[in-house]
Amino acid sequence: MHSRDKLASARRDLRERDVRVVILALVVAVATVATIGLFAALLQKTLVTSASAFLAADRQLEAEHGRPIPQAWWQEASERDIRTAHMVRFSTMVFGDAGFQLVSVKAVDDHYPLRGEIEMQPDASADREFVGQGPRRGEVWLNPRLMRLLALAVGDSLEVGNLSLTVSGLLLREPDGGFSMASLAPRIMMHADDVAATGVIQEGSRVEYVALFAGDESALEGYHQWLRPQLEPGHEWESVRDGETLSRSLQRAERFLLLGGSLAVVLAAVAVAVASREYALGQRDTVALLKTLGMTGPGIGRLYLRRLLLWGSAGCLGGLLVALPVYWAMAEVLEQVLARPIDSTLELRGLVPALVTALVSLFAFAYPPVRRLQKVPAMWVLRSEPGEASRRAWSDMLLAGGAIAVLVWLYAQEVSLVMALLAGLTMLLAVLALVAWGLILVLRRVAGGATAWRLALVALYRHRRSTLSQISVFAMTIMLASTLLLVRTSLLSDWQNQLPEQAPNHFLINIAPSDVAGVAAFWSERGYPLEALYPMVRGRLTELNDQSVRQAVSKDREVRELNRELNLTWMARLPEDNQIVAGRWFDDGARVGVSVEAQLAERLGLRVGDRLGFTVGSEVITEPVTSIRTVQWDSMKPNFYMAFPPDSELRRLPATWMTSFHLPSERKSALNEFAVRYPTVSVLEVDHIIERIQAIVRQVTQAVEAILALILAAALVVMAAVVSATLRDRQREGALLRTLGGRQQLLVRSTMLEFALLGFIAGVLGVLAAEAAVWALQQRMFEGDVQWHWGVILPIPLVSSMLLAVFGRWQLAPVLNVSPMLLLRRLE
Amino acid sequence: MSESLSQSGACNQPSACNQPSACKQPSASRDTLLKVSELTHQVNLGSDTLTILQGVNFEIKRGESVAIVGRSGSGKTTLLGLMAGLDSPSQGRIELDGEAISELDEDQRARLRAHRVGFVFQSFQLLPALSALENVMLPLELAGHQAPAEQARDLLHRVGLGERLLHTPRQLSGGEQQRVAIARAFASNPSVLFADEPTGNLDTHTGRTISELLMALNQEQGTTLILVTHDDQLASRCQRRFAIEAGRVQEFEGAL
Ligand SMILES: Nc1ncnc2c1ncn2[C@@H]1O[C@H](COP(=O)(O)OP(=O)(O)OP(=O)(O)O)[C@@H](O)[C@H]1O
Ligand SMILES: [Mg+2]
Repeated sequence: MHSRDKLASARRDLRERDVRVVILALVVAVATVATIGLFAALLQKTLVTSASAFLAADRQLEAEHGRPIPQAWWQEASERDIRTAHMVRFSTMVFGDAGFQLVSVKAVDDHYPLRGEIEMQPDASADREFVGQGPRRGEVWLNPRLMRLLALAVGDSLEVGNLSLTVSGLLLREPDGGFSMASLAPRIMMHADDVAATGVIQEGSRVEYVALFAGDESALEGYHQWLRPQLEPGHEWESVRDGETLSRSLQRAERFLLLGGSLAVVLAAVAVAVASREYALGQRDTVALLKTLGMTGPGIGRLYLRRLLLWGSAGCLGGLLVALPVYWAMAEVLEQVLARPIDSTLELRGLVPALVTALVSLFAFAYPPVRRLQKVPAMWVLRSEPGEASRRAWSDMLLAGGAIAVLVWLYAQEVSLVMALLAGLTMLLAVLALVAWGLILVLRRVAGGATAWRLALVALYRHRRSTLSQISVFAMTIMLASTLLLVRTSLLSDWQNQLPEQAPNHFLINIAPSDVAGVAAFWSERGYPLEALYPMVRGRLTELNDQSVRQAVSKDREVRELNRELNLTWMARLPEDNQIVAGRWFDDGARVGVSVEAQLAERLGLRVGDRLGFTVGSEVITEPVTSIRTVQWDSMKPNFYMAFPPDSELRRLPATWMTSFHLPSERKSALNEFAVRYPTVSVLEVDHIIERIQAIVRQVTQAVEAILALILAAALVVMAAVVSATLRDRQREGALLRTLGGRQQLLVRSTMLEFALLGFIAGVLGVLAAEAAVWALQQRMFEGDVQWHWGVILPIPLVSSMLLAVFGRWQLAPVLNVSPMLLLRRLE
Repeated sequence: MSESLSQSGACNQPSACNQPSACKQPSASRDTLLKVSELTHQVNLGSDTLTILQGVNFEIKRGESVAIVGRSGSGKTTLLGLMAGLDSPSQGRIELDGEAISELDEDQRARLRAHRVGFVFQSFQLLPALSALENVMLPLELAGHQAPAEQARDLLHRVGLGERLLHTPRQLSGGEQQRVAIARAFASNPSVLFADEPTGNLDTHTGRTISELLMALNQEQGTTLILVTHDDQLASRCQRRFAIEAGRVQEFEGAL
């Protein structure tokens, strides 16, 4: 064929409705999968950036031994295209008008922060500002509480060691404000280049040098590989994913996106399958005609293959044309939600699943029925054979099921997801077969009658074949969409539970035993009672089964907890959100044993019965591991790696107490009073961390809703495509019924009823199958409680029946208001 | 197709005529069934209007058989459609069975069609997805018949298709399809049957069988028969003949 002929034939194809539906299905497929893919990539990037902000970088290297990071390491990083910044942390006394105060100093260079922003106020009365750089040389920013404690104002000077710095702002929030017990003193921030002049840092001072890195994930990984062998015990490499607070929420969000994307893939496949099957059926006459005109089977095969490829390209192109603007719009919305610019450059990687889906749907779903067209006998022109269409249904279904499984697996790489989906779909099909059989039995008995109800039932029976295939597709679509709806609901409520409004946002640490009662009274008088109080003894884990831990734990495991003092506590009862995974909790009056946090136990390779030796000051306490328990790190409550029974050896050692409580931001002034009354107690303010986590959860929630909306839209399009597959027959029937004296009202009512019934049955089946799938998913992926979701089960069949009734009405519209005469002319 | 003739002949036996109205004798009701006066019909073709019929007047009595002939494009189908109430005329008045259908709205005309009018089309107009039986059941269901399947089966037996009830139109020959269409047309026991070139798509022999069937049903059930045809033989078997030319209708005696 010449290219002009090809174009003409393509244009002729487009005039056929079935072709348009196949292409539309492909467009929807590519558009949804691509949008979700792109958006998921964007979201991941943004989330990682949000989480990275906790480090003010993608990675941090801390040197806790007081020696600067070697020059060669900086150089290597910049050669690998990794951006760097450095900072120095130390504690010192500062002097202001109202006296002196121990502060923790953070000195940063011009590149800090690499991720996130610093929140500050240039003046106590000015608006909050988000800035991408710390104080300039010669300047210093103070935490507002320190400002009050020292009675300083912006413009005053502050002596840090030998250097006098000008106070130029209030430091409200650092991106890497952190949650570590080390930074307990009030904070000041200054420029790194001023540090030397203060003269504070001398041989043997306690100082931490920190290198910040940001860049490409693979570059960072490569750098870490390079760096690892050279790290010394005092070095600590930190990455976002090790951060405890957010990881669980992030993981779940990612899984939700995966699930959404997979469902989009399945929906797309279903749409393409339905549309192309319909097309193939409609093409039999044409093929038979071509054969009578002398075309051979293989020739016809090639002809249709070429068409499929053409539509495939058209579908992909169209899909991308839809996906890109939608993606940009969503990125725009995300940017507004976050109130900060995000990097929305296109991740081409995000498009791959969409294109693969289009290709596979085309070849696994569209090609088989079209290929079988070769076998249509020329005699078909004159007379059709019954049953030709249904013979290959089984092999088609196997191929389809296999293709769906492979697609979802390729997309999600998650066997349990594939299994849950396939199990749900299989169950659905089995139930469908049963229901169909029953339906036919019942409907067969309905005799005629001129009421809309009877006509609707008769029509369902009369169109039993399309009734069944439509119910199957609707039920599948509804199942997929409601699966997502259900998962979203439990996901969101889970997040809400995780960080309730009243989550503790302040920690009190270092409470002397004699102050415990007074501190508790101080806060409960003000209406902010403390949560549980825990004793705390600082100690190091030094022995494992009577060997030094350094020897006992193999070298390649990096266990930073070994380098650090751990908080040891004792408690009688297991905290509510902890869970024993091995061994058992202390009996009443127990004296021996220690309960170890599960992740640490895993990293150290600990088992119940291992003997752990802790060094506290000059004493060593040795206890056997009696239980291993999980801890909710993101609960914002005091959590401990090591817990002892109340009557253990630990009790003899000097302990301080810690606790947490909720203090609303407008009452923070109470902290000043508290600081004056209990100067030795350290207050750790984590309200801003909690706020940030809540903000991230809100943003993820928005994304989840957007994806849900996208899937629902795709589901609607699939349903519309399926309904419109029978459009021609329906309109012909409507026209004929009108000629035969059917009143418009009657036709409208019976058609709407027919579709409403169809939608209802499909809705019930689909939503029940979704419950089954969610049950399976929740067991494996989202670890939530299993329950019936009546709030979804009840409305969905109603909504789907109303929706389909509207579809039916819309389908009939063209034959309603035209004279039957015109209809007949059109039909001929 | 002697088989079908003998089948249709069976209708002469009283048992087949289970409803009294179906056995009206032509002589018993020679009143006017259809009255067309000053009928003009125009269609808009973009800017121009095309006048298809102009100032048409005639009357048809109950039980008569009427043939309408004319060149292709002369407006036969249009006239048939107007008389059957499928469309409303631009001007003029049409009374069918005592009702002025030109003044009814679409729903009222539909009700009239459901009970008193039957159609046979040149291109059969069977629904391809339905079996012969289901096709014949359609008007019965619409009319709220209590046992549509039995009635339809009976009708198909009478047109000689008792063995082909469950076959779809694609599996039937053209003549067989037209017989299904005739069974469907008679299902609602119409007082008038409109047929647009009922034999137009059929060979002479089959065409003859169909004509026989129509004539027989016209005789037995007293149904008024109004048909458009190019078939002289069929036209000559009708009691009256009209010719359309240049938008005008004229009755004529004998062959064209
Ligand atoms: N709705 C319409 N729009 C445009 N033209 C129309 C319409 N209805 C009828 N016509 C025109 O009116 C003329 C008469 O049409 P009609 O179908 O009645 O002819 P006919 O006598 O039945 O012809 P045939 O013997 O070929 O069936 C034709 O030229 C036709 O094209
Ligand atoms: Mg005509």
